[in-house]
Amino acid sequence: MSSSKVLMPTEENISPPAPESSAVTSSHESSQEETEKVIKVNDLNFAYDGKKDVLRDISLEIQGGEVTAFIGPSGCGKSTLLRCFNRMNDLIPTASITKGSIEILGTDIYDQYVDEIELRKHVGMVFQKYNPFPKSIYENVAYGLRIQGIKDKATLDQSVEESLIGAGLWEEVKDRLDASGLGLSGGQQQRLCIARTIAVQPKIILMDEPCSALDPISTATVEDLITQLKSKFTIVIVTHNMQQATRVSDKTAFFYLGELIEYDSTTRLFGSPAVKQTEDYISGRFG
Amino acid sequence: MSQSDPSSTPSADSKIRGGQFRKKGFTVFGLDLQDFIRFFFSGNASLAIVILVLICVFLAREALLFFPDHHQGLKAYRKSGQEFVDFVGDEVNDFTILYSNANVAYYAELNQTSLEQDNLLAAYRAVQSLVKNETSRVRDRLEDHLDDLEDVVDDLEEAEEDLAKLDPAVDGEKIAELKKEISELNAEKQQLEPVIAELRPELRKASETILNNSLTWKFDDASLKLSEEQREKFREAVLRDEPDAQGDHPYVAELKKISAGKKAAAAEQLVDFKATVTALRDAAKPLKSLHSKLKRVASEAKRESEKFDTAPGRRAALLEGAAKTSDPEEKARKIKMAEAVMIKEPDFATLTQPLYAAIPEHKAIAEKMRTEVAALVKQLPEKASTQGARERLKHARKAERTFDSTVSASLKKMDKWNHDKRYSVIGSVTAFIFGKDWVTNSSWHDFYGLLPLFTGSLMISIIALVVAVPFAVSAAIYVNQLAPVHEQNLVKPAIEFIEAIPSVVLGFFGIFVLGTMLRNVSQVEWLSWVPGFPMSERLTILNAGLLLAFMAVPTIFTLAEDALNNVPGAFSENSLALGASKLQTVLQVVFPTAMSGIIAAALLGFGRIIGETMVVLLVAGNKIKIPDFSEGLGVIAQPAHTMTGIIAQELGEVDNGSLHWRALFMVGMVLFFISLAVNYGAQKILIRFQKV
Repeated sequence: MSSSKVLMPTEENISPPAPESSAVTSSHESSQEETEKVIKVNDLNFAYDGKKDVLRDISLEIQGGEVTAFIGPSGCGKSTLLRCFNRMNDLIPTASITKGSIEILGTDIYDQYVDEIELRKHVGMVFQKYNPFPKSIYENVAYGLRIQGIKDKATLDQSVEESLIGAGLWEEVKDRLDASGLGLSGGQQQRLCIARTIAVQPKIILMDEPCSALDPISTATVEDLITQLKSKFTIVIVTHNMQQATRVSDKTAFFYLGELIEYDSTTRLFGSPAVKQTEDYISGRFG
Repeated sequence: MSQSDPSSTPSADSKIRGGQFRKKGFTVFGLDLQDFIRFFFSGNASLAIVILVLICVFLAREALLFFPDHHQGLKAYRKSGQEFVDFVGDEVNDFTILYSNANVAYYAELNQTSLEQDNLLAAYRAVQSLVKNETSRVRDRLEDHLDDLEDVVDDLEEAEEDLAKLDPAVDGEKIAELKKEISELNAEKQQLEPVIAELRPELRKASETILNNSLTWKFDDASLKLSEEQREKFREAVLRDEPDAQGDHPYVAELKKISAGKKAAAAEQLVDFKATVTALRDAAKPLKSLHSKLKRVASEAKRESEKFDTAPGRRAALLEGAAKTSDPEEKARKIKMAEAVMIKEPDFATLTQPLYAAIPEHKAIAEKMRTEVAALVKQLPEKASTQGARERLKHARKAERTFDSTVSASLKKMDKWNHDKRYSVIGSVTAFIFGKDWVTNSSWHDFYGLLPLFTGSLMISIIALVVAVPFAVSAAIYVNQLAPVHEQNLVKPAIEFIEAIPSVVLGFFGIFVLGTMLRNVSQVEWLSWVPGFPMSERLTILNAGLLLAFMAVPTIFTLAEDALNNVPGAFSENSLALGASKLQTVLQVVFPTAMSGIIAAALLGFGRIIGETMVVLLVAGNKIKIPDFSEGLGVIAQPAHTMTGIIAQELGEVDNGSLHWRALFMVGMVLFFISLAVNYGAQKILIRFQKV
């Protein structure tokens, strides 16, 4: 349905030509069937120092147009896996995948011809600590477009408005777009960061514990927002909060000590987990 | 602690203060060791503040006493009529600039014709003196021996003459004596001759060795290339140049003759030019003689004024001396002397009367001279064959305009001038702050004007900042944001190490390496479009500015790097996640965020630069004059003096408490306030930055 609408305008941005076409065609088919595999992880190992694997033998497929939650105790590698999806781990010089591959929209993103900057325009990310730039609200949202070279005022205005509406922030800030983004409340700042991310029109949004620094009311707002965004974006969210996972996600993956223990629809994983470790974790026996 | 200490017995014995919780160990009045350590540290901290306050008070007291003294001096300057005479002096000075430019232009044209020969001769003299220096040991020995030989030969001739005069029949004894002397002298001569014969080839060989060294043939002027033939001739000439050689080598003599001939021919060609220059000089004669006449009048008045100013002091000293002596006679004498000291204000109206009387005379002279000079300057040749002469003629024409306007201004000022007019206090303050001259130890009048020093300091600092800020900030951005770790570990300590170089060492470097290099580079022809090039000076504003830039780099770099480091890493992570490249992230997020910190870094760098003393003292050229801005950016090729430099240079030589001494303190005070303002501004900006 609407996911194709998001895909269409940006399809020219994908660099290698051959996989691009396949990705687009598959997206067309899948949008009808709603079974598109947007992210495909094949037997992945990852190490920060090139030796000791912190992720081992991960294989999973993430559906387009769904919210997938990664849960698990601290240090289980869920955030690491998330940061593999937009190659944020490249910022650490020694870190690399040691086995396997990740395909996003049908393209192997660790291929040496892949430009990670181009990739990140398609795979956006929202961080745990909201961090608007010390610029105005308007400039914060327009930033991603400006660095792509868009200067036309009308295009920028429209995109800023749409993104802020998309992030549910428009009504609150429309009269003070020139005010500093740092003057907003915590929840508003996090939604501003989400608006900034969707302004670039990515296909996938990665969220790394987006609510852990927010108060309960702001958390509820952001969770609502996530369910709304689901119609336009594929969302992968890392969370410590299992209630949150049940509230917002369609699928849930449970990680433990660098391995994927169980991956299933959220209702099934929380209702009748297949693995003992999962059951122990969600019932609070450890973690 | 509260429980089980056996020594602190149960509280039955309540006489012990503190009871069971009593402080353990060494205590005095309930203060234990920790308290004393605390006092020690707080004492050190407050001592620093006390010393700072003392310095400020001392500085302020000495500096502020400058103004009353200065005012007194300026009052005397007006009363004695020196101010009036300086109106004429300004005219004379402006004329002198005009005249000397015209004169230099004339000689540039004159020497132009024989330039080739003159250059060759200069090259020859360079080689000659080098060889002379290098062979001085042999040469001196040879010279000594030759002198000795000459003496011996003279003595010998004398003795033989005497011998011939004597009558053998009468002076048998004397003859025998003389004969003995002659034989002795002959023996000496025979001794000397082989030594000289030996030394001649030795000198020749030493000279040849040096001449064979190709370095000998390098001259300052690279444009002069000696041909093989010329070189051979010079070689012969140098070798021929033994201590007892007569006249020049024919080639050198010929060069000299050609040079002189060409000069004579050129002088004939330029006879009109010469006549104009001479006429210019003559036109100024009446004004100059009037100036020196008036100067005498004013000097006399100034002496009277000084006498009057010091009279009370002298009288008091005598009376004090009288009070101390016990001898009544001596006492009476001193008291009499004290009474003889006149404390009567000299009659300045009478003293300055000749000045007022000279106004019409001056007017007549100045008006006449003005028209004459204008006409003569028009007569100066329009075209000149050398670049130097063209420049000078241009300057001369400009100086004519300045001279003309100075004359008009002086005429007006003289009409209004009155020796008795009050000198306002504000006037004396502005005379310091905006004064264009800093003249000390002068027999005429001492001027204390800050402007030449201030402009010097400011220009050097601006050049240093303009060079250092981009350099240091880019380096900081690279090291903090873009460089791999091993490069960071190399570059950062390297830049910070610059701070460890003593400034006097940098000053040496500035004089001998940078100064010479800059001048040589500026002489390159295709660089002559650069403002200020070619530079004639080695010690210039530019040189000092560049060195100070180098000194300021570590300060600005370190602070700018801190500012960049303080930008939360999350900003760049967020930016990268939005698909920005590393460079976009740095330029659009990190750099703007760190901006205020970087501005503060630049300001603190400025504070470092303007307070720097040693380098500017050594390298800036120390010329106390406001740089001539008419050359635009080329002004950077001129020498200047600075506020810091003048204090370092002059404070050691002045009397405590003199006006000059106070003036230097006042300059220090100005520096102090500039530094204070800069640091305060930087702190303000930094605090604002931390709030964001």
